[in-house]
Amino acid sequence: MHKITHPVSFTLNGEKKTFLTRPDEKLLSLLRREGYRGTKYGCGQGTCGACTVLLDGRATYACLLYAMQAEGREVRTIESAGTFDNPSDFQKELVAAGAVQCGYCIPGMVMSATALMESEKTFEDEIVKEYMDGNLCRCTGYEKIWVALRRTLDRRAAEGGKPAAKRTSAKGAGK
Amino acid sequence: MKLCEFIRPSTLAEARKALRALGPKGMPLAGGTALHFMQGKTPITAVDITRLGLSFIKQKGDLFVIGAATPLSDIQRHRGPRWAMHEICRRISTHQVRNVSTIGGNIARVFPWADLPVVLLAMDARMVIYSGKEKEIPADEYFSSQPARLFRDGEILTAVKIPVLKAHHGFGSVKATRNAAAFSLVTIAALLELDGGTIKKARVAAGSGIPFPQRLKAVEAALAGKEASPATFEAAAAAAGASAKWVGGEGMSADYIRQLAEVSVLDALERAAKFARGRVE
Repeated sequence: MHKITHPVSFTLNGEKKTFLTRPDEKLLSLLRREGYRGTKYGCGQGTCGACTVLLDGRATYACLLYAMQAEGREVRTIESAGTFDNPSDFQKELVAAGAVQCGYCIPGMVMSATALMESEKTFEDEIVKEYMDGNLCRCTGYEKIWVALRRTLDRRAAEGGKPAAKRTSAKGAGK
Repeated sequence: MKLCEFIRPSTLAEARKALRALGPKGMPLAGGTALHFMQGKTPITAVDITRLGLSFIKQKGDLFVIGAATPLSDIQRHRGPRWAMHEICRRISTHQVRNVSTIGGNIARVFPWADLPVVLLAMDARMVIYSGKEKEIPADEYFSSQPARLFRDGEILTAVKIPVLKAHHGFGSVKATRNAAAFSLVTIAALLELDGGTIKKARVAAGSGIPFPQRLKAVEAALAGKEASPATFEAAAAAAGASAKWVGGEGMSADYIRQLAEVSVLDALERAAKFARGRVE
């Protein structure tokens, strides 16, 4: 095992950070040992989406990204999306729809939906499916997650697609 | 493979120098998604090639030039005159993978199930390789066997050039999978060059279900000079079976995969004809 000797610097949830890592350490592992445990370890092979984070605003599997690849880039985790006391619109809708069973997939779902809402102006089903195609839920059959997301997106579209106030750095939420 | 060092060169010359010095102990890394699955304990230095300005899509005259480190999602979202690359990119893996995985990574080391080699073979693309100077290799030569042979002395794949399709060109690609994000069972791509209602030239390629991507020459021969009609397409698709050695797997027989290939060829040809007639986005 190599020593943790390689520095890597990136913006994490709006704050500039430097961590020590190893060349073969995955971003997911670094995030979790640094306390950002909202990002989940599911399959570890880029299939389930539980570890989804945003890299320069794009949804990415943290389990398929070496921490060293994040150098100089902007990483956002579920901790930036909302807190227990101040959940995001989609998080509120997920609760209201009863869409959360075991909940393990939800942080990844929220991050993919965040990328969708920030990148697109309109939310046709085909576009929504495209952004959400890398997140698996093995409890619910997706129906209620879809309902919650559709409600969030429809309201957003009705409000003229105004981007919500940016929430950053709420470390510790979503455990 | 055991990743034990990680370097981030800032110029192409620097990257090449590093890869050349490292030899088999060096590995270019762009999206890096494939590296996580490489077995073994050989110590490897990753050479990050995502900071060399190799992520772009440009039109230069009759060609689109796509930088090797361009993520699949950028190719999927790009729109240009008679652009045809987005369909297959939408079908590769999932959103999160398309955001990091690159066109270069898809073709620098060809996995049997890779989709882009099939499309690039049909499109008669040219691969640009840097070795201090640039050289271009046509798809037929590039994909004649594992391209690793072309990168032995620190050479780096820098771009892919594809022709801008003309009004009389039709292109169609089909990827048959068990579910939306699954690896391909059969991938087919077809480029038709029409002269009025007649097929002047056709390039049809296949991947997955066969050991290595290849053109389906018997299918192409059944199309050339014929009328672009459903009967011609059906006859050509029927030639797909004998055109390659189809392999079964995951509970599917070789015969099933062959049949899947034949209907996929028909589908790709129909799409290509529709494209030539004027496609609605």
